[in-house]
Amino acid sequence: MLNLFLTAFVTAFLAAGVRRPFLFVLAYAYIDIVAPQKVSWGFLSSIPVSLIAFVCAVTAWAAAEDKNGIRFSPRQFILLLLLIYCGLTTRTADFPDEALEKWAWVWKALVFAIFLPLTLRTRLRIEAFALFMVLSVGVIIIGGGIKTLAGGGGYGELKLLVNDNTGLYEGSIISTVAVCAMPLALWLAKHGTIFKPGWLVWLFAMGICLSCLLMPVGTQARTGLICVAVLGVMMLRSVKRPLTYIAVIAALGLVSMPLLPQSFTDRMSTIGNHQSDQSASTRVAVWKWTIEFAKTHPFGGGFAAYIQNHVSYDTYKAEKAGDNNTALQTVRIEEKSRAYHSSYFEMLGEQGYPGLAMWLLLHIMGVVHMELIRRRYAKNPPPELAWVTPLADALQQAQIVYLVGGAFVGIAFQPFCYMLVGLQCGLSAYIGRVKRAVPKPFRAPRAPAAAARSEAAASA
Amino acid sequence: MIDIFTVVVPHVLMAIAIWRLIHNDDLDFDPILPGSADALARLKRGFSARRGDKSREGKPPRA
Repeated sequence: MLNLFLTAFVTAFLAAGVRRPFLFVLAYAYIDIVAPQKVSWGFLSSIPVSLIAFVCAVTAWAAAEDKNGIRFSPRQFILLLLLIYCGLTTRTADFPDEALEKWAWVWKALVFAIFLPLTLRTRLRIEAFALFMVLSVGVIIIGGGIKTLAGGGGYGELKLLVNDNTGLYEGSIISTVAVCAMPLALWLAKHGTIFKPGWLVWLFAMGICLSCLLMPVGTQARTGLICVAVLGVMMLRSVKRPLTYIAVIAALGLVSMPLLPQSFTDRMSTIGNHQSDQSASTRVAVWKWTIEFAKTHPFGGGFAAYIQNHVSYDTYKAEKAGDNNTALQTVRIEEKSRAYHSSYFEMLGEQGYPGLAMWLLLHIMGVVHMELIRRRYAKNPPPELAWVTPLADALQQAQIVYLVGGAFVGIAFQPFCYMLVGLQCGLSAYIGRVKRAVPKPFRAPRAPAAAARSEAAASA
Repeated sequence: MIDIFTVVVPHVLMAIAIWRLIHNDDLDFDPILPGSADALARLKRGFSARRGDKSREGKPPRA
């Protein structure tokens, strides 16, 4: 039944694209996030549905879309450079077969991020894309949230829609992405036009936000908790009454603390002490290995270069030895081929210093661009552009959450995050068109003092 | 049951959104950008002209 439902939905979605070509772009985003081909087991899983949507989106744009006023932004150039550079490192990768496997989806994410801003020509398209990102993430997290509430969570135990520990269905990744989606969900509830603000829309948005907050609890991903804390601090900038906000957050924290499972609080307590936790110690050891690796491979080892790592470290366990004594036990751990567990080290190890520099520049420019847009329309914006500052704010918050979460999860090439980048570029391009559309006077308006002087002179 | 709920609710909302987007001209023509309103008007005139031509197929030209 689920199989038929998803097949019918995807078919109808693609068919709707014939009427409005932009819907192909939304269909691709939906397929990339939800992966219905993984959820279903019949027809959809046997055809390259993502590639079909991608080809349809690009072809329809090339054939039928208005391309007037389109400009390539600097960040799209950086994305293009990163794409070419990743292609080159894949050719010389230390593990060519594994590198090709990752390249097969990375190029699509990068090309889509370059292509997306070209299609986001109107305010409604920007909103529609944000809406489909949030709803697609909702497909994964609503169930995750309900299962967590029902007590079905646990480290590596929360069963999401697909029992597949890859892509967005991996615990730490979905926790980070869910928190990234929260500001967008709130923006849609406040400024949406497809679903206009109302109590039903707010109820759904609150449900989505609760699910987002429950993902770190359900997956017991420490990264998620850090992301929630970062978002909570950043939202202080956007709320009207910061003190009320702090009081509400503190009250909610106090109320929810006793309701959290013991396993969650035990796991979160290891955030500050990595030496007692094997998972955290592995990360630190792999990061040290990556720094050493980059010294001899400054241009990176290509995708999946982590396969060659071999790390060893000590973990410390404290055990009661009776009579107020504690016995410290040191355990030597040796591990091989451990993933980076950090986007920064993923870029450094796989793409070297040039790749890391491009990636950092891409994201730092995003944060700065959103800040500029945010400030430009913050005070007395025209009513038709009142949505711009809150959206820039939401996109900036999502990106900073991604950058902080990315320090502990290898999501440097996660397609969802490149969609955020594409959405930011689309917003910047839209604002650029709005600015260019404002007619510039032939002569600069005179200063009031000069005008008064000339009037006085004329009357005299 | 939970999995069906988590699939159905967002998909129904997406279906409604697609339906609304198909019927909203603002998707392709932004009302606040110059040229968009003109382009939309031109497009609508083109459609109505074509429809008018079709409706008069096989009939004698108007005087």
